[in-house]
Amino acid sequence: MTDSKMKAHPVFPEHSGKSFAGKAVLRRDLKEKVTGAAVYTVDVVPPGCLHAVVVRSDRAHARIIDVDRSEALAVPGVVAVITSDDLTGLFPRFGHIVPDHCILAIDKVRYYGEPVVLVIGDDLYSASDGADLVRIEYDELPAVMTIDEALAPDATLVHEEQYASTGDESFSAMAAAPDDSDTALPATDNITHSHELAWGDVQAAFAASDVIVETLIHFPMLYGYAMEPYNSVAHFTDDGLHVTSSAQHPYMVRTDLARVFDLPLAKVRVDVPYLGGGYGTKSYTKLEPLAAIGAWITKRPVKLVVDVEGAIYTTRADAAQTRMRTGFTSDGVILAREYEVILESGAYADNSPLVLAKAVNRAFGPYRVPNIAGRGKSVYTNTAPASSYRGFGAPQGALAGELNLDQAAEQLGLDPYELRRRNLVHPGEEILPGKRGIDADLHADLGMLEESLKRDASDQPMHGIGVGLAASDAGAFPVSTAIVRIQTDGSAVVMSGATEMGQGSKSVLVQLVAEELGIPMEVVQVVQSDTGAGSYERTTGASRTTTLVGLAVQRACGDARRKIAEMASEIFECTPDLIDHLPGGISGPDGLSATFGEVIQRWFGAEAGEVTGVGTVRREGVTQKMPPFWEVGVVGVEVAVDPETGFVTVEQLVTVADVGFAMNPKAVEGQDLGAATQGLGYSLYEELVYDGPQIVNPNVVEYRVPRMGDLPKKIDTMIAQRGDGVGPYGAKGAGEGALNPMGPAVASAIARATGKWPDRLPLTPERVWRLMNGLPEADDLG
Amino acid sequence: MLPPFGLARPRSVSAALAELDEDSVPYWGGTELLLAMRMGLIRPRQLVDLKGIAELTEVRIEDGELVLGAGLSHDEVARDPLVAEHAPLLAYAEALVGNARVRAQGTIGGNLCFAEPRSDVATVLSALSAEVRLVAADGTDGADGTDGADGTRERRLDMAAFLLGPYWTDRQPDELLVDVRIPLPVTAGVYLKYQTVERPTVGVAAVARGAAGCRLVVGAVGELPAGFDFEDVASVDAEAIAGELEPTPDLTGSILYKRHVTAVFIRRALAELAEKVSAP
Repeated sequence: MTDSKMKAHPVFPEHSGKSFAGKAVLRRDLKEKVTGAAVYTVDVVPPGCLHAVVVRSDRAHARIIDVDRSEALAVPGVVAVITSDDLTGLFPRFGHIVPDHCILAIDKVRYYGEPVVLVIGDDLYSASDGADLVRIEYDELPAVMTIDEALAPDATLVHEEQYASTGDESFSAMAAAPDDSDTALPATDNITHSHELAWGDVQAAFAASDVIVETLIHFPMLYGYAMEPYNSVAHFTDDGLHVTSSAQHPYMVRTDLARVFDLPLAKVRVDVPYLGGGYGTKSYTKLEPLAAIGAWITKRPVKLVVDVEGAIYTTRADAAQTRMRTGFTSDGVILAREYEVILESGAYADNSPLVLAKAVNRAFGPYRVPNIAGRGKSVYTNTAPASSYRGFGAPQGALAGELNLDQAAEQLGLDPYELRRRNLVHPGEEILPGKRGIDADLHADLGMLEESLKRDASDQPMHGIGVGLAASDAGAFPVSTAIVRIQTDGSAVVMSGATEMGQGSKSVLVQLVAEELGIPMEVVQVVQSDTGAGSYERTTGASRTTTLVGLAVQRACGDARRKIAEMASEIFECTPDLIDHLPGGISGPDGLSATFGEVIQRWFGAEAGEVTGVGTVRREGVTQKMPPFWEVGVVGVEVAVDPETGFVTVEQLVTVADVGFAMNPKAVEGQDLGAATQGLGYSLYEELVYDGPQIVNPNVVEYRVPRMGDLPKKIDTMIAQRGDGVGPYGAKGAGEGALNPMGPAVASAIARATGKWPDRLPLTPERVWRLMNGLPEADDLG
Repeated sequence: MLPPFGLARPRSVSAALAELDEDSVPYWGGTELLLAMRMGLIRPRQLVDLKGIAELTEVRIEDGELVLGAGLSHDEVARDPLVAEHAPLLAYAEALVGNARVRAQGTIGGNLCFAEPRSDVATVLSALSAEVRLVAADGTDGADGTDGADGTRERRLDMAAFLLGPYWTDRQPDELLVDVRIPLPVTAGVYLKYQTVERPTVGVAAVARGAAGCRLVVGAVGELPAGFDFEDVASVDAEAIAGELEPTPDLTGSILYKRHVTAVFIRRALAELAEKVSAP
């Protein structure tokens, strides 16, 4: 290469404004997903792979007396039959907040569906035949199936001890016992975790209130249905443990696995191909330890895939009962809110302590509340363990907070928009003292919502409109890294630990790199979610990827550009300040310019080498103040109720995605409509129902999820872009917002249509019919 | 998971009959059979795949009856011109069965033999006074029946005789449901169902009968379709009929609610029928 080739030519056309960011580009993963070529965890089958089947408890709460594996072991092809007795030398539990979750039940089972035995076979047939022949003898224990039973004075204990917290400082406040305490403290109740929020003088404020409104509402037990149920494949090699899994947070899973096997983090590799949906249900550790102990015992790769029923008995969402009391002036100004959220969290803590903290933080809404007393409990029961679910405590909390406002609006003679307007915070105002002020213009958003709903509103009888607002302290703990590697031909690889779970992060990262480096999207490649070959990411959750990973990627691009500039100043033998940035390259002194590839090749002196840019995000600078951003939810519906059957039709669905900057507007719309639809699911259809020890509808035929035919007649998904987020170009997260206040919007719309206020979701036709007719939730069949 | 099984692929009804027994069962779309096998409810030694038998997908008019081969898919029935002409009510109901996959895959005969209590097809066929024709190889253990052609025995049963209970029919293990026969002409009729999940909560079929009467069949709500004949539609007491039924409580409704919506849908169906009958 000669200097004469380095002339002043822009490598790619000069761009004004943004070329790639903010454009509704086609998703990177679209074609391979539509054609079936995309690789998911279930497609990963290493040579010599064995297959595992879980034998689950058929009791809610029972002591394990004996496990007879002889018949199972006699089945041809069965390689191993594993119980917790075989885990000597391992740490036999997992859990990122408190490691209370037994990989296989130890001494006793705590819920129907709990894994007790793992049968490993040459193929699925032998393993499942073997599983049928495992005999488990139990001694039944009294079970606590509901919040009331679990909190009764002499309730049987789901866990007899309190567990020490994990080493993660951000969670340590949520464990009952301090970290590294060797002796476990005995438990005295079934409370997993408590959380409180308080300021002002609530008692005095209630005394001064003109109107006090109290609401008691139940949030249903849910399954965050993802088309891909949980599955993992594990393998020990001389390099350590390698697990491929359907996990949102491979790095969090890695930590749990390293603890189980006492391995250095570097010797545990967790990688994640595409996820077939997550919605929070694939946050944190699920089947990975089971597959891994199978591989550890058999010394061969072990694959474990569960069906929807197995997935439901792995993780579901917390049910809740929430009491909310609010004092108002006669003008509808909030003086105080006092509330209690009780989560029914199932047999293991998993992420419920954090869900609880968020539910308490997210219950009172984006309003000016001068006096507050909020508290919450997460309660152990003998039911399937609950954990994260899209919205993360916000759906449970906002349901009470918003519905209570609508009931108050009726009593105060104000419309629901006006009551909200009188209390809604303005941009920059704090709702949690000391935290980041609200980085959204909710007054403007509410105006957009109201305009759209009123434009098409019907004045027919049995129609009703409901709106809901919510604010979530989102983004989670801001720790993110990214690596951008520029190649000798000017193409770039971006490495991130963020998982593509269907939300479209792959495309967003490509758009960002293309924008920042000024190169076409076609030459940007993404490597995601591999702890052994990628970059660290704390989690893919809390709507954080575009904002936090986006910042890390932006910084990695800046770092790469800075390095290129340094290299160019060496090549051009000039001071660095004479180097300027061009799309896809740099300019130097005397009208010279070079592409990234030319700089790299010339600096290394061969057609070889690369430039690696690294970007990090931590609690510093724009992400110092918590939360990194607020994710607001702004939704409205109009419903029509069939007076004879109680059947609800959603006539209008209106959402405002207040995202600061829409990196890909099509993706934002998809996320918002998806969140809203999932919100309609728990509002109208979805509920896991226990009858005795077991769930009666652990499948998607009887657990009713929203379908195409349920889609509202009018859908208006608006995007508000005001550049008010800390992310790239002012972006904030999307993906949960519209789900969070959907429950109260639907409930209040139905209340306005029927004249009766519901006290629980989902509002199935029978519930609405009973509500209209003043009938109890269930009949006494004597 | 689906357990292992053998597969026979006969090319004629008689060859199929030779394969049928307790442990060797008819198979076509598999929409319900394979599900039951996956759930471990049944584990047959062999499936007798009937898809290679052409006569099981025929539609014809014979002796004043519309004859539908048992292997016709719901979609095929819904779209068939003869069905549209002679039994439009059945075409309408078949187009609403389950979902697109079930309609493409599942058959009218399979639907009846599985005897899912919430079957749309059984309710409508009851209202149309349809019969099924069962055939068995001669000389084997089977129910008493009239002699069929070519060394076979056959018998015809109406819906009430054929359907004995939930997932239970009078079909014997050696018998094959060959076709469904609907007496012609079919009078004006309606089918209305209330459905909030995968299967209906209640399905109401009403077919005009005589000058002012009707045949009313209420399905899905109880264990079997319940049929009622009325000389005068105006005399129908929907509440009383609903009160006579024994609804099966489940997640779509309690007994109280199901009785209530049954009455609602009887009223709605009869109103719609009246409109249809009075229409020019």
